[in-house]
Amino acid sequence: MASITMKNIKKTYEDNTTVIENLNLEIHDKEFVILVGPSGCGKSTTLRMIAGLEDITEGELYIGDRLVNGVSPKDRDIAMVFQSYALYPHMSVYKNMAFGLKNRRVPKKEIDKKVKAAAEMLDIESYLHRKPRALSGGQRQRVALGRAMVREPAVFLLDEPLSNLDAKLRTEMRSRISLLHKELQTTFVYVTHDQTEAMTMGDRIVVMKDGVIMQQDTPQMLYNHPQNMFVAGFIGTPPINFIDCVIRRKNDGFHAVFDRFDYLLPKRMYGSLSLYTDKEVVMGIRPDDIHAERYFLGKNGENAIELYVEIAEMTGAEYYLYATAADKKIVAKIPAGESVKSGSYMRLAVDTDKIHIFDKVSEKLICD
Amino acid sequence: MKNKTSGVKNAFWFSLLLLLSFIFLFPIYLVVMNSFKSKFNIVGTPFRFPDSETFVGLENYINGIKSAGIFEAFLRTLVITVGSVAAIVIFTSMAAWYIVRVKSRFNKAVYYLFLFSMIVPFQMVMFTMTAVCIKLGLNSVLGIIPVYLGFGAGLSVFMFSGFIKSMPREIEEAAMIDGCGPVKAFFAVVFPILKPTAITVAILNAMWIWNDFLLPYLLLGTTDKTLSVAIQITMQGAYGSIDWGGFMAMLVLAIIPIIIFYLICQKYIIKGVIDGAVKG
Repeated sequence: MASITMKNIKKTYEDNTTVIENLNLEIHDKEFVILVGPSGCGKSTTLRMIAGLEDITEGELYIGDRLVNGVSPKDRDIAMVFQSYALYPHMSVYKNMAFGLKNRRVPKKEIDKKVKAAAEMLDIESYLHRKPRALSGGQRQRVALGRAMVREPAVFLLDEPLSNLDAKLRTEMRSRISLLHKELQTTFVYVTHDQTEAMTMGDRIVVMKDGVIMQQDTPQMLYNHPQNMFVAGFIGTPPINFIDCVIRRKNDGFHAVFDRFDYLLPKRMYGSLSLYTDKEVVMGIRPDDIHAERYFLGKNGENAIELYVEIAEMTGAEYYLYATAADKKIVAKIPAGESVKSGSYMRLAVDTDKIHIFDKVSEKLICD
Repeated sequence: MKNKTSGVKNAFWFSLLLLLSFIFLFPIYLVVMNSFKSKFNIVGTPFRFPDSETFVGLENYINGIKSAGIFEAFLRTLVITVGSVAAIVIFTSMAAWYIVRVKSRFNKAVYYLFLFSMIVPFQMVMFTMTAVCIKLGLNSVLGIIPVYLGFGAGLSVFMFSGFIKSMPREIEEAAMIDGCGPVKAFFAVVFPILKPTAITVAILNAMWIWNDFLLPYLLLGTTDKTLSVAIQITMQGAYGSIDWGGFMAMLVLAIIPIIIFYLICQKYIIKGVIDGAVKG
């Protein structure tokens, strides 16, 4: 069990490309932290630096209180689960799991106990004598988890462990890993590009882009209060709608205006908006915060406007509506109970309480 | 219609391959057949099958084995082959692993040097090499092993690195996290995965080293004769007379061990060649 502290970390490769400029991150003991971002954002590199598989060009990395910059992976008390499972193909499942303990000269009896306990926890007892090639993807991934578990490391590092699994298995493994974290009570650092995984599993999510941390917070805070347009756009399916609009000051307060839309913004925003009067900003509104007529009733009724629904996608519990407004695509998510047809008009209203206003140039949040 | 053309095609390939295997097998057939004929009947009628007059049973074999130095030559060849093949497999696999995994200009240059060494014909370097080796004291049974390592390294490094390139790096990284240093990671994890290629490399080198005549003749001469040298020297009598019967019998005996080795390993050789070639 240990915390991880990264201070002013910089990573430059031999060909002089800098993937991480100045990374500062604190991961607490027993925390489940998710590093998420598009490919090439430096999340895997960060994880590999924690593991000791990549050198750190500048800065300091602590695991617990120990500076580990020059410490080799085997002496960092970490375990890692790889996307490709990385099982030893010539060893049985049992030997794969026992290998790390054997290298650390753990007595045979103890190895046996630990391997069997981990196998039981992961439902792989009946495969212990098989070779990895005789296992399915899900089983292999469980062996990889087991191999990490038996070592009882201070830190668990998981590098896109579910990316090679099919959708159903992924959902199952997701909850299994969450449970594992609860049972093991160890620090977990989990890298993924999948925002659903990030939202469902982590205590805290670190969103990265081009080697920079864009925001780090709980899943709920990230979703409800994104600090910039990147985070707002990255988290949530279908993605948030961004609409260019102008802030107007009228008698009753500040309005966000574009085309035939005119939304009175909540009072709490006025302080921040005064600087932006008559300026262009970007309004962000999540598809879940655009409602069909009977759900908004009195509250936002005045905002309802008739939109042309190009496509209505039925997902089971809800519809995804792809509508157009002033040549802009707007996505709305409404309950499946509505009768909606593709290619028809429908009255939809924006919940102005849930609007996020971003600066058009810096893409940073002005107010929400 | 389609079946008919493919049938004709098959027949064509079948006869071509049959002809090819006949061409390859014919010399072996000649050697084996003549090894049972009396030595006086071999030169005159080499293609005639042994009959009651010419058949001598195992006489040639017994004479050959009894002749001086054959057994010692066999042992020497065994030591040289096993030693060289072991050295080639171990050292070139390690070299290839390092070259593939540690990217640097120097390593790239070393890799191309290995490749280049495959292109240079032995005859081009043999005299200067012999002189250097004798100066270095490599003209002994054990001394020739590093020389074979040098000549075998090019192809072996090429084959190993082709395979290693296709190996996911994560397996080695997992081993490092599991407590291995580079040496342990290589022998406990990488080398076992390389097994098919290692066997291919071993068999290719074993065949060549076991049968080699020129290099041992140049370096070890007639004092420390290897099998191929011994057969040539021992069966040559006075005034240029040659005991062809003994010659043939010894040739048959000499190729048996390597054929057995090949048959044991052949299921790996095909897999190894494909692994290296396709994924490399």
